[in-house]
Amino acid sequence: MPASNGSARFEQLVLPLLPSLYSHAFWLSRSHEEAEDVVQETISKALRAFDSFQSGTNFKAWIFRILRNTFLTSRTAIAASRTVFLEDQVDLLDVSDPSPTPEDHLLRLDNHAALTEALESLHPQLREVLLLCEVEELKYKEIAMVLDIPIGTVMSRISRARRTLHEQLRQQVGGSL
Amino acid sequence: MIQESQHLRSDQVSAYIDGELSSNEAQDLRQHLATCHSCALRIVSAMQLKAATTRVSERVVVPPEALSRLTAQLRPEAPKRPARVYPIRSWAWGALAASLIVVVSLIGWRETRQSNSLSAELLDQHLAVLSSGSSPEVVSSDRHTVKPWFQGKLPFSFNLPNALPAGTTLDGGDLTFVHGRPAALLLFTIGKHRASVFLTQRSANESAPVSLETQSGFTIHYAYTHDLRMIAVSDVNPADLDLLMTALVEAQSPR
Ligand SMILES: [Zn+2]
Repeated sequence: MPASNGSARFEQLVLPLLPSLYSHAFWLSRSHEEAEDVVQETISKALRAFDSFQSGTNFKAWIFRILRNTFLTSRTAIAASRTVFLEDQVDLLDVSDPSPTPEDHLLRLDNHAALTEALESLHPQLREVLLLCEVEELKYKEIAMVLDIPIGTVMSRISRARRTLHEQLRQQVGGSL
Repeated sequence: MIQESQHLRSDQVSAYIDGELSSNEAQDLRQHLATCHSCALRIVSAMQLKAATTRVSERVVVPPEALSRLTAQLRPEAPKRPARVYPIRSWAWGALAASLIVVVSLIGWRETRQSNSLSAELLDQHLAVLSSGSSPEVVSSDRHTVKPWFQGKLPFSFNLPNALPAGTTLDGGDLTFVHGRPAALLLFTIGKHRASVFLTQRSANESAPVSLETQSGFTIHYAYTHDLRMIAVSDVNPADLDLLMTALVEAQSPR
């Protein structure tokens, strides 16, 4: 493929993803300056590796993986050492309470601050997987590719993230129902 | 495979609402939901949570200067121009499912029990809407806003009345599922009372059994047109609810 065609196609693919890439980089690094650096480096790396991208696979997942690896090798990531791993066992014993009352399911979801706080207090690994799923709307298979983990682990992390949120928001309701 | 006696695991609930189960797995799961009120509520609750967290997790907007620099990096030959790109999430049907308040009905296999358990489930949903305090997806009293919002999101269409009965206002609308079928949920205020009206397609062989029931002080009012089934749930007095339903039914007939 002639280089110019390739780069035109690359541009077409990346341009609409800039807001997503930037936002995710910002979330990872918590800094506008570094987010821009990370996205810039991601673009360079992705362009160089574009030949290895196989059409038919998901470009967004592919470039998000590059973005994430770029971040993980950055100073901030190493300094913050946010790469601690949770134990990712699928909790098969997690059959929920067999007789929860309807009130157990009612969460106060209109409290923006409480919700934000609950999300902020999630372990970064759980928050990340939730962002990829809910905000970036990636499928589990694609998230598995971005994070380089098995799909079963994606599933249990998302589930764990939501259970944690549920518990936290339910506690905040207290007995007000 | 989900055993009848076994409740859903959290990861199954999550995978289901994310549309990640195979059609067989989803089928098994729905079979369990049909007989398990508690798991059906967990699904509803999980969907509400997902909708809420998605809403709160707004993307950080790229500062315009950064965006022009990045765009310039991408196309060195193109002239720089002011940035304009703001993230707009595409609300495809799958993603939309996330923002739904979902009603998974608990229709028993026995037909005689059908309308009762449906009413019970809709009542639960009406109460959930009232107690969650979250606003509907489309918040408007203007039928010219509310009606188009549903278009393309539902496999049927409906009309809203030109004028509502005195003292009745439209608060907004939402998408929902009733008995596994996509439904429009319209929210009204009648005087000091709230009313939820669920609209679904009427199935071909569906009879129109009861028109009115009461459960725990709430009136559940069924109305049918040629194509639609409408079910209202409210604690307002039945006569006022009837006025609203009559207006809704009349709005459907071509004139
Ligand atoms: Zn169950």
